[in-house]
Amino acid sequence: MAFMINRRTALGGAASLAIGAPSIARAEDNKRIVIGTWGGDYSRLLTKNIEKPLLEPKGWDVVNDEANDPPRRAKVLAEKALRRGSSDIQGVSASFMYEMNQQGVIEQLDYSRMPNSQNLIPVMKYPYGVGHIYSGKVILYNPKIITTPPTSFADTLDPARGNTLGIIDIQYQYTLVAAGMASGGTMSNVEPGKERLIACKKAGARIYPSNEAFAQALKTEEIGIGIMWKARAVQWQNAGINVETVAAKEGVPMYISGFVMPKNAPNKQGAYAFLDAMLEPSAQENFAVDMGYNPTVKNAKVPPEVQKRIGFTSEEQQRLVDLDYAYLGKNDAAFQDWWNKSFKG
Amino acid sequence: MRRGQGLTATALIGPATLFVAVSLFVPLAILLRFSLNSFVPETKSMVEALTLANYATFFTDPYYTSALATTVKVAALTAVACLLLGFPLAYVVARTQSRFKHLLIIAIVLPLFVGNSVRAAGWMVVFGSKGFVNAGLMDLGLIVRPFEIMFTEKAVVIGIIAVNLPFMVLSLQSVIEGIDRAVEEAAFSLGAPPATMFRRVLWPLAMPGILAGTILTFILAMNAYATPYLLGGPLFKMMAPVIYNEFTQKTNWPFGGAIAFVLMSVTLGLTLIANLVFQRRAAR
Repeated sequence: MAFMINRRTALGGAASLAIGAPSIARAEDNKRIVIGTWGGDYSRLLTKNIEKPLLEPKGWDVVNDEANDPPRRAKVLAEKALRRGSSDIQGVSASFMYEMNQQGVIEQLDYSRMPNSQNLIPVMKYPYGVGHIYSGKVILYNPKIITTPPTSFADTLDPARGNTLGIIDIQYQYTLVAAGMASGGTMSNVEPGKERLIACKKAGARIYPSNEAFAQALKTEEIGIGIMWKARAVQWQNAGINVETVAAKEGVPMYISGFVMPKNAPNKQGAYAFLDAMLEPSAQENFAVDMGYNPTVKNAKVPPEVQKRIGFTSEEQQRLVDLDYAYLGKNDAAFQDWWNKSFKG
Repeated sequence: MRRGQGLTATALIGPATLFVAVSLFVPLAILLRFSLNSFVPETKSMVEALTLANYATFFTDPYYTSALATTVKVAALTAVACLLLGFPLAYVVARTQSRFKHLLIIAIVLPLFVGNSVRAAGWMVVFGSKGFVNAGLMDLGLIVRPFEIMFTEKAVVIGIIAVNLPFMVLSLQSVIEGIDRAVEEAAFSLGAPPATMFRRVLWPLAMPGILAGTILTFILAMNAYATPYLLGGPLFKMMAPVIYNEFTQKTNWPFGGAIAFVLMSVTLGLTLIANLVFQRRAAR
């Protein structure tokens, strides 16, 4: 009998602890928003343009958890079984938003909880994520090395470019898409581009591990041409790199970067507050000025001279194409295998 | 009394053992289980299974076997290079009578104060096509076109040697210091030329340090991540970056787990073989 009482007491104690602990934690977390983001400029600008002016005055305590997106996505996946994850919101590109949704780790969003979302450009509104900024994949070239401006992806991803062509390793998806477009493929069939890429590699095309390494190579004139987001070209122009951009005549594949909310986000209210704040016109305008990406809301007013450099003319806008995320998602593992083994290997 | 001693021993060993068990063996066990699961590429998801398919894929796909071969080659090369470069240095440090000996040791350890990736970034500045080496040689008119060092195996080998050399020197120096100078003098007084003295006296007596240093640098090189990733570039493959890529880029945990176990087994296996061979030699 004595044993029974002891055990009951012990169980009761444990239960009260178990009930008490999360409520204490929740009370503490209530005003804390943990944001998974890339480090560097992007994180700094989130703080400068969104967190400091829009969230902190309302009492939110925002923490930027900085890392590249692959480890952050791996972490969300690893935490899938946990009741409480370690982040409230994660910044990823549209194609990984799709992938994370397929993996069942992110929340379906309630747009009524984000009043600013009524101004979103329709394609930026995914059931499982919100577009924050966008740009397009364009041709970059150094006019000193490439004297005749290129007009198309076919003209750029061309074996005749030899070792003046630079390709970015981590941009395998868009490179495949652009090569596909150049060789008569579609957004849902990039296969025709593979042969072209292999020919470019054989002809001496240089492959760089990161966007930054590619920029460095443009700067040292190791290469003279390649493809990249228009927004990055603007940043590199600002950094004094001699580079011009051309919207390819085959089309301009869009790059959309946005945010998703893990299903087990500890502070969903905070996550919605962040999503709403990032769509605030002032925040969107500042991102355009500071980073060269286009706003995803219609009511942001970008200064005309900035718009001219970062934006797309109405004729170019006709050529903006969104990716087929379902197709890319389904084949991504296969594309990576091809890229690593057949293209690079 | 005896019981009390037992308790003290448990209290002393317990925390470390528990820490190792929880932080090393539990994740390893989970990883081993994952490596037997299968993977659906279309949804990038892991499916519960009990199969050796991941291991089979590894050993039948030349992409992965060549990554393993490169890794073993680079690790062996750097371990030997560290031994050749490190032994004379360790000998001098061990035998010096200088007042500044401690400064010498600090100078050897100093590179370890800088993280691997920071050091690799430094090498990138040195190796680039317009980097220090190439710009210097070109300005002096010694070469016309820049050397391709960056993103080659050469760059990785140089980078890893620079990282691992202090470990080799420290392992050797502590052992050489323990060898009585008198035994070397005895060999000389009996008419042994320096090479014979080295071969018959110094080398066998320093064997524990040689073994420890070689194994340490070999293991570090087998598992090197930052240096091959940053200096080897996108076309160079060693095991640690390949494993990282499987986990994070492809979300293929089962295969990533399998490669991790292959790497661990090969590293352990080669270390054991080296240990046996060296010790047998030393015993002879």
